[in-house]
Amino acid sequence: MVQLGSPTGEETLARVAVVAAGVVSPLGFGLAETLDSLRSARNCVTPVTRFSVAECRCKTAGQVSDEHLLAGLNKKLRAKRLHRASHMVIHALREAMIQVPEFEPELTVIGTTSGGMSYGEQYYRSLRQSKNLRHAPTWIANYPAQKPVIDAQLEVLGSSVPCQVIANACASGTNAIGHAFECVRSGRYQRVLTGGYDAISELVFTGFDSLQASTPEKCRPFDRDRAGMVLGEGAAILALENLELARKRGAPILAEIVGYGISTDNFHITQPDPSGIGPRQAMERALQSAHISPGEVDYINAHGTATIFNDAAEGKAITQLFNGVPVSSTKSMMGHSLGAAGAVEAVICLLGLRHQFLPPNINFGALDDDLELNVVANESRSAAVRTALSNSFGFGGTNASILMRSVGA
Amino acid sequence: MSLAIAGMGWVTPLGNGIDAVWERLLRGEEASATPISEQFSDRAYSAFRVPESALTGLAHPRLRRASLISRFAAAAGLEALQAARVKVDSQNAGRIALVFAISNGGVIYTKRFYRDVVETGAQAASPLLFPETVFNAPASHLAAILGVTGTTYTVVGDGAVGLLAIKMAEDVMADESLDYCLVVGTEEIDWMLCDGYRRWRLLRLAPPIEPFSKQRRGMILGEGAGAIVLTRLSRRSTVEAEGRPITIERVHPGGCYGKRAEAEKLLVRTLRDLSETEADFVISSANGTFIDQSEREALEQVIPNAITYTAKPALGESVGASGLWQVILGAQGLRRGELPPVLHADPNSSLRLSLSRVPVQGARQAIILSSGVNQQVAGLRLALS
Repeated sequence: MVQLGSPTGEETLARVAVVAAGVVSPLGFGLAETLDSLRSARNCVTPVTRFSVAECRCKTAGQVSDEHLLAGLNKKLRAKRLHRASHMVIHALREAMIQVPEFEPELTVIGTTSGGMSYGEQYYRSLRQSKNLRHAPTWIANYPAQKPVIDAQLEVLGSSVPCQVIANACASGTNAIGHAFECVRSGRYQRVLTGGYDAISELVFTGFDSLQASTPEKCRPFDRDRAGMVLGEGAAILALENLELARKRGAPILAEIVGYGISTDNFHITQPDPSGIGPRQAMERALQSAHISPGEVDYINAHGTATIFNDAAEGKAITQLFNGVPVSSTKSMMGHSLGAAGAVEAVICLLGLRHQFLPPNINFGALDDDLELNVVANESRSAAVRTALSNSFGFGGTNASILMRSVGA
Repeated sequence: MSLAIAGMGWVTPLGNGIDAVWERLLRGEEASATPISEQFSDRAYSAFRVPESALTGLAHPRLRRASLISRFAAAAGLEALQAARVKVDSQNAGRIALVFAISNGGVIYTKRFYRDVVETGAQAASPLLFPETVFNAPASHLAAILGVTGTTYTVVGDGAVGLLAIKMAEDVMADESLDYCLVVGTEEIDWMLCDGYRRWRLLRLAPPIEPFSKQRRGMILGEGAGAIVLTRLSRRSTVEAEGRPITIERVHPGGCYGKRAEAEKLLVRTLRDLSETEADFVISSANGTFIDQSEREALEQVIPNAITYTAKPALGESVGASGLWQVILGAQGLRRGELPPVLHADPNSSLRLSLSRVPVQGARQAIILSSGVNQQVAGLRLALS
């Protein structure tokens, strides 16, 4: 069980506020566009344009528009030839810091799976063709996973703080937020920036295609006819602060993170244990960490990749633990953004809590016969949402869940 | 919170096993460089590879198809747990955390996977190779071998990532339901890595690595893994399994520099924070690149009299594994009261380098300084209790 502090008293644990957030994803640039897309159940999955997918089964992904991403770049930034991932993190961090300009983080914890992978691809292709290696030093310098985080800190904060980059496959974003939460909750830190990012790349796209995990059809999480996932990309940043200190200085408090659970199921490197034990343990541990019962959860943003195996295991675990709690996978709208997914989905939960609605699970026809879930089908719904759970699970059997709550709930 | 090192494991180009590698370093031995070539290039590089004998006896179904990076990690991790006399079972599987430090990850399989895509097309992409390209593959293999069911993190960064992983382990161990944290740093070498660092003017074609040299001729890559088992000092019986306890007194998360010239400032700040208590010696990350100058100038400013040692001329720059290797060197120096000779160093260096075997009997404090070439810096202080 994940429980920090003295075993005798939760009063030793600090409460953790989300005081700002920023997001870039196929759903839009910033919180307002994201909210609009969620409310209108927009399908943001489009044909892949960044590389050839002629030989892949899957031809679509959720993609962030380069036009928008690179618009308004100043000369200095343009000259650095930063990776797209850096620009996404810069946008997300900038949006968050506008909300709390006085926020001075002590630590940054960010999740990713593939860093600047497409620069690695360019480098390899150029090497093989023995040409166009003029930009190789730039590609190499911008390839490492920590680079977008450092770029964003230097660009937006003007300085950089220590960063921990977690690469726990598709659970990375939720793991990063969960670890950041525990850092503040334990009292070791007062202010931590956290989140996740990932930019789409040919290698990763082809990898999921080779596993036949991605689908040539629409992404239909928890549907009887689901056939797999589509990939996505994006970045999201949350500013976490000791709630008491945030209140004292009059900071806006968007929500509270109240629980985090992590588990490792060791079943298979790419498949979850079909019993659902991994997801169930992560959710149980999050509930225990928050000292709340399953009945207090109003909404679950599922990992819901729409693969046969994930949705069966996760659906089983949710069915075992919860009784009719509304569930949706917003990956149906924007694809699976891997290391960014947990962070973007945390922002989606935040929007649900702030605006009292349930984000939709689009492309939904009929529920898998083996599952008993209350899916938020095809349209967003107004609802009283006080507590939301967000799940992320990844290769290697790594599972993570976080619980967020409206402040004052 | 003061954590103690309960056990260590080491897989290096000079073989495996803490005492065996240490003895070779004390004798002034240096790993043999192996040429690395690539089909589509005439250029060859040199690297310090792990001898096959270092992985003898490492057999587990989970490692059958695993890449070298995962095998190195498993060997080092299992050695560290054995040294700590920690046996993972269903009773304690949730009370042991794993934190991995990785830099370049599974480059060999990543290149092979992408080569098939480029040469033959996406339909040739291997579903067996792809999962091994993921950064957390080594951690998930070791978690599965051990049966660990709780916290498992893979931290990614540059040469400083090993110390950043220890910092994360310290944060993770704030959770009192955890008894141990196994921290593993691991790295494998491929021709593309050598070429990448070469194009970045950080790598030389053949040994030696000349630490703290004004010429900055570059580094040679090394591969392998290092592992330490951390526990609270209160678990004294476990901590003393290897003799007098070595504790991690303080981990400094350092920070990130924007330009290379800014690294020195960050190192000075880190060193000042770590040297509140006098340090008897420093394990440096000097590797023949620009970071040597930054470290030299920072050391000269803050602790000019401390004896300084770097093992990179003997073992190579192992990036993701290097921070863990440095901690092992520091712990061994404190425990054995002696430091190995720094190889290929300028005898006129302004630093107090241990140019031959140097006794450090009575040493109680050591500083580990890690400067990565990709903008990250970190440090920590070890103490002999």
